[in-house]
Amino acid sequence: MNHEELIEKYFAKSLNNDEKSLFDQLMQTNETFREQVVYEEEVQRAITLNERQALKKKLQSFEIKKPKRNYTIWYAAASFAVMLGIGYWTFSNDVDTNAVYEEYYQSYPNVVAPTVRGENSTDIKSEAFYSYDSGDYAKALTLFSKLYDTEKEDYSLFYKSLSLMELKRFDEALSSFEQFDLQKNNGFTPYVKWYKALTLIKLEQKEKAVVLLKELANSTNPMQKMAKELVTELE
Amino acid sequence: MENAPKLTELLKAGNEKAIRTVYEEHRNGFLLFAKRYSLGDDEVLDVYQDAIIALCENARKGKLDDLQSSISTYLFSIGKFMIYHRLKKLGKQVTVNDFEQVEMEYELYDEEEQNSKLTLVRNYFSQLGEQCKKVLTLFYYEEKKLDEIQKLLGYTNKDVLKSQKSRCLKQLKDLINK
Repeated sequence: MNHEELIEKYFAKSLNNDEKSLFDQLMQTNETFREQVVYEEEVQRAITLNERQALKKKLQSFEIKKPKRNYTIWYAAASFAVMLGIGYWTFSNDVDTNAVYEEYYQSYPNVVAPTVRGENSTDIKSEAFYSYDSGDYAKALTLFSKLYDTEKEDYSLFYKSLSLMELKRFDEALSSFEQFDLQKNNGFTPYVKWYKALTLIKLEQKEKAVVLLKELANSTNPMQKMAKELVTELE
Repeated sequence: MENAPKLTELLKAGNEKAIRTVYEEHRNGFLLFAKRYSLGDDEVLDVYQDAIIALCENARKGKLDDLQSSISTYLFSIGKFMIYHRLKKLGKQVTVNDFEQVEMEYELYDEEEQNSKLTLVRNYFSQLGEQCKKVLTLFYYEEKKLDEIQKLLGYTNKDVLKSQKSRCLKQLKDLINK
């Protein structure tokens, strides 16, 4: 087992006894190894404290709504109004589609090709993903469109559509998503449905979005939970 | 509700409504319970919030998956553990008897909050891209295995995820050493 895997197992708390002794031994004898572990532990502590702090703020905000004795009624009313503002789209039946979109839209990562700068820089596919990864969506769009026109593969159509979303060209994104054959059901299908639904929400076609989201909510797929949540919110 | 996911599962997913429900449901009971210890009202509320945080954190790490007791029993025992530590930290008298069975799998990181190097890492971490934050949080905070993260985030192969993870670590290190 290489060192990287050993460290991985250490953090996943899945070292067996032999691996544990090897790990301890390396910590004693191998400076590079030790430094890496110490660094990653630091990252772990940093993330943990950040997560706790964020949750703490949230919990403290639960308290704001509760008027205390020394608060004037107006203060309470004002903070309640703030809470209402924050919670507006969560509780309101008349959903603000823009807010929903902002809440749920997250850039879809490049999960197809690892981008390594310098390697194959002439290869359009790497170039396209490189542009996508570095946020140059205009260039990514051109390249993915070109790729799709030549090879007609799902991934290029998918990332072309996503680039259009990133560029906020939603009408075009929708027509691009519509080229997918959703009956095919491959690895991209749930994500296509999800992002297509978000595009529809942005274009204020809520009913169509809900149909797609319900399909996602009623079958097992990576977007099922999110889709359920969003359907509840929209209805 | 039919097929309602169990509360522990919702907490595991970090569902905000579930967190709020648990928070509201046990708040007054806990404050009442804590009255017997010499802590001020604000202090007690602070401890309660820390207990909820610990509950949510352990849920996310999957430590509540095989929970035998109820959530409230679990929460109160964390709370007791927290009170014990808070009293000690404040230099107050602690009757050990009272806390005999208090033990918890939870790292408090009390001193770490003042650590300036770590503050730096924390700030730089927030500057990373969303995907990096997600990958690293799932791995280091939720202690999930790479296979699981691969499935959760929809990576088509593990090597892409691995290289993403090392790139993120490298990026963070570069920021720190800048």
